[in-house]
This record gives sequence, structure tokens and C-alpha cells, in this order.
Amino acid sequence: MSVDFLHPEKGAAIDTNVPALELRGIDKRFPGVVALDNVDFILEPGKIHALMGENGAGKSTLIKIIAGVYGKDAGTIRMRGREVDIKSPRDSLKEGIKVVFQEIALISEFTVAENIFLEGYPTGRAGSIDWKKIRADSAALFDRIGFNVDPSARTGSLPVSQQQMVEIARALAHEARVVVMDEPTSSLTPNEVSLLFTVIRRLAALGIAVVYVSHKLDEVFEIADTVTVLRDGRHISTRPIGEHTSDTLIQDMIGRRIDNLFPRKRGAAGSKIALSVEKLSTAKKLNDVSFEARAGEVLGFFGLMGAGRTELAKAIVGYDPITAGTITVDGSRLAPHDTRTGVKLGIGLLTEDRKSEGLMGELPVYQNASLASLGAFARLGFVDKASEHRAVQDYVDRFRIKTPSLFQQVKNLSGGNQQKVLIARWLMRGLKVIVVDEPTRGIDVGAKSEIFALIDRLAGEGLAVIMMTSEMPELLGLADRIAVMCEGRLTAIMSREEATQEKILNAAIG
Amino acid sequence: MSELTHASAPKRFVGRQLLGSSQLVLGAILAALCIAISIAAPQFYSEANIIAILRQCALVLIVASGMTMLIITAEVDLSVGASLAFVGCIGMAVLNSTHSLSLGMLAALAFAGGVGLFNGLVVTRLRVNSLIATIGTMMMLQGGVYLFTREAVQNHNQMASFTDLGAGYVGAVPVPVILAALIFVVAYITLRFTTLGRYLYAVGANDKAVRLSGLRSERLKLFAFVVTGLCVGVAGMILSSLMNAGQPTAGRGFELTVIAAVILGGTSLLGGRGSLFGTLLGVLVLKVIDNGIIILGWNQDLQMVVPGVVIILATYLDIIRNRANVR
Repeated sequence: MSVDFLHPEKGAAIDTNVPALELRGIDKRFPGVVALDNVDFILEPGKIHALMGENGAGKSTLIKIIAGVYGKDAGTIRMRGREVDIKSPRDSLKEGIKVVFQEIALISEFTVAENIFLEGYPTGRAGSIDWKKIRADSAALFDRIGFNVDPSARTGSLPVSQQQMVEIARALAHEARVVVMDEPTSSLTPNEVSLLFTVIRRLAALGIAVVYVSHKLDEVFEIADTVTVLRDGRHISTRPIGEHTSDTLIQDMIGRRIDNLFPRKRGAAGSKIALSVEKLSTAKKLNDVSFEARAGEVLGFFGLMGAGRTELAKAIVGYDPITAGTITVDGSRLAPHDTRTGVKLGIGLLTEDRKSEGLMGELPVYQNASLASLGAFARLGFVDKASEHRAVQDYVDRFRIKTPSLFQQVKNLSGGNQQKVLIARWLMRGLKVIVVDEPTRGIDVGAKSEIFALIDRLAGEGLAVIMMTSEMPELLGLADRIAVMCEGRLTAIMSREEATQEKILNAAIG
Repeated sequence: MSELTHASAPKRFVGRQLLGSSQLVLGAILAALCIAISIAAPQFYSEANIIAILRQCALVLIVASGMTMLIITAEVDLSVGASLAFVGCIGMAVLNSTHSLSLGMLAALAFAGGVGLFNGLVVTRLRVNSLIATIGTMMMLQGGVYLFTREAVQNHNQMASFTDLGAGYVGAVPVPVILAALIFVVAYITLRFTTLGRYLYAVGANDKAVRLSGLRSERLKLFAFVVTGLCVGVAGMILSSLMNAGQPTAGRGFELTVIAAVILGGTSLLGGRGSLFGTLLGVLVLKVIDNGIIILGWNQDLQMVVPGVVIILATYLDIIRNRANVR
């Protein structure tokens, strides 16, 4: 009894009394982490169901289980009342579930129509692919969702918003009963967002259950019928949107008090301005950003995905070009787009993407640690290996970097230890300002507090620490002052005393 | 306690470097080849033959020294063969008109270094993939040399010092071998002991990390391109001395021999990994095979076939050895 969306009059009616998808008692554990703990999640056909929670709350784990990317450790999944076993993305698709991830999963070299029918091209006589039918059917699908994309356009040439439409059309071609959208608006303009919302409402009108994953409150209030909040891997609440206000929703998302993961040992920040950024803009993201950071303070930058934190981090260390503005480190102007003078003046970036921008995976620990300071160990261009090794060993001991030897390839270390090696790289160089971008990304819970302690120590040693983070506890636990970004602009800057999670989230939403 | 780790760690490292590198496999292949050939043809071990092998190695080793640096930075230069021929013609022409070996040499180095600089700028500034960029340069040079001269540039003044460059001896050792040894040692020391060498490995391993550390990754790559070019300049002059003429047709396929030797020596095309010692072994293996085929009186066409087999075999053995190490 499948529904033919091209010809709905031929299909069977959707029974609205039986949940389209019913997850009960879902558990999922990763080494050292309980990602989901006895979570229920029930979707009604024709309803738009928002899934909310902070980073690490378990939203993405849950949708990955729905998508068949992860297997569940316990619990049951029912599609329209029938228990199903989803073991792979293919199973999930077969059951009529379509997940649109943030990273578009289309073949960019193919045309729109080719992508839509990727899993099964309609064939004509002699088994040849019936291109005419493919184009016609694609056009009919777009017509149903009320969106127009040229079916013969090359997919890669379309903007992200239209590629999302192609993914949605693909869901319809697969006769999906459940469509999951993971933070679909993170790279869309407001106009594109309202178009997307129109399409999502059409999906619901077709009887499809839509899951809308987001942490943007305004969007959720605009589009959702029901909201489920997860926190720390547990189900907190499921309520109709009408029963929520911003405050109750934020309360559900945050809930707990932040425990003292963050032992503060450093004293108060000094008064010396270590970094001053004025009216900084970049071509793609940043818009007129100005702030100052003092020696010895941790200035935290919070923002939702796409707010421009990483862009800011890369611009102020001179890695990315800027279109306007000035950056002053310790009284000297920084030449824009020049990491060389940046490092000379004493500003460096601890990158969010360790693997592709930080580590030299094939090379040993000691070479990774000494990269930025090698000149200090050289005489007439020759490296004094003994003094280099001694200096690195010193950091390995002080930071408790777990490595069998200095000669271990750094790719074999754990995430936390790799991060410590990269922090050592900068400390060996001696900086005045360090920009840390998502310092605990990909680091397991145990090592996180060690990284926090190191950041505290950096500030204690008189560095200005600029910390980009999307983790609220990290922000409130470490920062002396908090700056909030939204869509490339600085929307608020406040001291830790006056900061509340509500204030921060409100500023982040813009 | 930490003193102890300091003392023992470097030793372990040396041991691991010897055992854990593809050089062990390659050394074994080289030894097996030498033994097998000398059993079949005892004249393999004659002094004359060994000198002949070394002379054969010299040209390849000179260019492979630069190429090793370049491949370590994760770039490659396919134009070295075409450049080699062009350089010989230009060097010879300048020599003919100026009667000065130093001016001829200078012209050769300037031209070859210029080719390296051009390749480097195209790759680092225009961001054209080095494989494609240097194929382009190769084609330009292969055609360009015929615009420069339709036929071989003959040696008009037969200067003794120029002839010595290719055919001379110091004691029992041919001059090209001495030049190759000098270039090899300088390159070896640079890669092994200097900050510059370390940065070359670093830029190949992760050029973004290098840039974030306040170093100019483009300059480092440019440097390696120019060094490779200069090596071609030296090799081109030696070659024209050996042939007593600048030959526009010389050097066809030379780039493949050079790159094969470097890769055979365990240098990764992905960058960040490799050693000049491995390159030396790679050159020796290829040239011993060449020599063996001649000495044994086999079909000369096998000179291309056998090295091809050896490259695949050596790389495969290296993969097997890596797998065994992981376990």
C-alpha cells in the first residue's frame, strides 16, 4: 500500500491514527559516553516535529539511528505500527525514511533528474533508460512540492537551498513516509528559508511526518507542530508548540546547573590590551566586527552554526583575507592575510580542524610540537636536536601527553593528546594571543577537563585567549567575558557575571 | 628518569628507521640483484664495470636529489627530461659563442633554474596541480627546443675543461660521479639536519599547518622546484659533455626514470615522507638492472620492462611489510 505521490488519487489514504514512526526506549552507547538513554520519539503523519537540544544532547545520534547510520543498542522501532529492523541506510530508505543531512549527499556532476532517480532509473524498451520519463517525473515532483528547479541542470551548479529541494524531491520519488531535516537552514538566506518552509508544509500536507532538527527557536516556533527536547542523551519533554514559550523551551534544553568542570586557578585579567580588532569584515561572512581582548583573560565567542566564529578566528590570525578593518596585536598592526607577521607579533590559532589544518599526521610528535619554534633550536640553520627533544619532552611531561615516545607518529595519539601537542606547539613558540577554535571538538569527556585546565593556565600565564565555542558549558565555565555572534556580526558582548544562558541564546539567534 | 628516556629514545629511533623503512626491502633487492648477476656474469664485479654503473647513476642521482626534495613537499616535476635536453643545447650554444665554460654553465643553470621557478610559480601562485603544470611545461620545452635549434648543437671549440665535465676522472673516479656525490651529500644534509629540510617535510605533510605556524608554505615549495631545476642544469651540461653536443632529442623518458628511482626509494607521492638514502638505493637498483641486462646479453628492450616490474614489486613488498608492522 504505497503512496504514489505523482498520482495521489491512485494511492491509499494515510491512516492518521497510527504513528508514522515510533521509537521506544532507544539506548545508544559510545565508548565512555551514553549518547542516548531510554529515549522515546513518536512521529505522527502529517505533522512537523521539531527535535531540539544543545550540542551533545543526542539529536544527531537519534537521527543517525533513524537513518540507519548507527545501530541502536536497545529499544524498538515501529513504522506504522509494524516493528522494523533498521541496520543500514538502505534499510531505512526502504522503510520510507529520508534523512536530509547538512552535508548534501548528491552527485554534483549529475543532473538534477539523474540524482532524483539515482536508486532506480525507469527503463524503456530494451532496458534503455527512459530519459524523457525521468525528466517529466522530476518536473511533476517539483510541481507537487511547489518548487521549480530545472531537472536537466547540473546539480553542483545549484545553490545549496536548491540542492536541498532536490533531496526533498528525491524523498518523494522514494515514496518517503518520514522526512528528517538536519539543521536545514544553517546555510540559507532568509528568503530561501521561507521557501523551504513552504515546501516543508506541503510535505506535511501530503501526510508525511517531518522531523525538523534545529536549535533556532524562532524557526521552531514558526514551523513546528510538536517539539521534543533532548538533553544529555535523555528525553526531557514532548509538547505541542502552543504550550511552549521561548523561556520554557530554553529551560528544557539547558535544565541543569553547569557543574564545576572548570577549576579556575588563574587570577583576574590584567588591564593591558593584547588584541584589538576594529571593524573587521570579510568577503563572505564577517561584518564590521570590533572587540578588544586583555592579557590574561579568556574571551569566549559563542554562536550557532554558521555564525562566523571560525571565519573570525582565521581572519584575525591572518590565515584568511579580509576586506576591511584592522587587527592590532600588542600595539602593532597586523598585515592582513599574513600568518608570518601574525606569529611574529604573537598571535596563533589552535584550529578546530586538527586533522587537516593542525597535525602533520605522518610526522613524529616532536616535529609536530616544535614546528612553530624550530628556529629557536637552530644554529646557522642546523637543528640542535638534543635541545629540541629536551624542550618537547618537557612539555610532554608537564602536559601529561600520553605517547610511547617523542618519535611516535602523531596520528596514532588520541584526540586529547593530539590537542595537547598542538597547544605545546604554540607555547613553545611563546604567544601573546591564542585563538582556540572549538578546543574540545572530538575529544572524549575525560580529556576535556584537562584541556580546560590548560586553557586556564594559558590565560594565567598572561596570554589573551580568544575561545570560539558552540558549547554553552565551556563558554560559561571558562570565559571572563562572552561575545556572541550571529550571521557574521557581533550581537552582544557581556561579562560573565551579567551573562545568562537565556541572554546568550537570544543574542545568538539575533 | 627523564634522562633515561632521552638516552634510549634516539637509539630506538635509529633502529626503527633502518628496519621500519622500505630501504630494507630495497637494500635486499639490490643485494640479491648484485649476487645473481655476478654469479651469471663474473665480470659484473670488475672495477671498470662498477665505475661504469656509477657513471650511469650520476645523471639520474643528480636530478633525483632535487626531485626527492620536491616530492617530499607533495609536488612533482615531469618537465625535467625535456628541460635536460634544452639545457644541453643552450649551454652548448653559449659555450660556442663565448668560449667560457663558466658562462656556459651559468646559462645552463639560469635556464634550468628559470624553468623550475616557472613551474613553482604556476603551482604556488596559479594553484595549478603540479602534475598538470609540469606536463604543460614539458610540452612547451619539447616543442620550444626545436624553435631554438632544428638539429644538435655541435661542440665547436672542444674545450678540455668541458669534455672533462662528462668524461674526466679524478683519480679513478669519474667527474660526474663526484658532482653527483657532492649534490647528494648537500641535499642529504639539508633534508636531515637543517630547519629548511624539516620545513620541507612539514609542508608536504600538511601545508595548512605550516602556514598557520607562520611559515610560508608557498616559498618552501618554490624553493624545491628551483632546486630541482638547478639539478637539471648541472645534469644537462654533463650530458652534453658526454654526447659532445647539445641534443634536442636527449632526455626523453628521463623524468620517468628519475621519479621511478625516488618512489622506489620509499618517498611518498603524498608528501611528508621519504629519504635521500632511499633515492640512492632506488637509483642503484635501476642502474644495476640496466647494467645486468647488458652484461648478460639480454634483449635491450627489457631495460624498460624489468624496472617496471621491480617498481610494482617493491611497492607491493613495502605494503606487505607495513601490514606486518601494524600487527
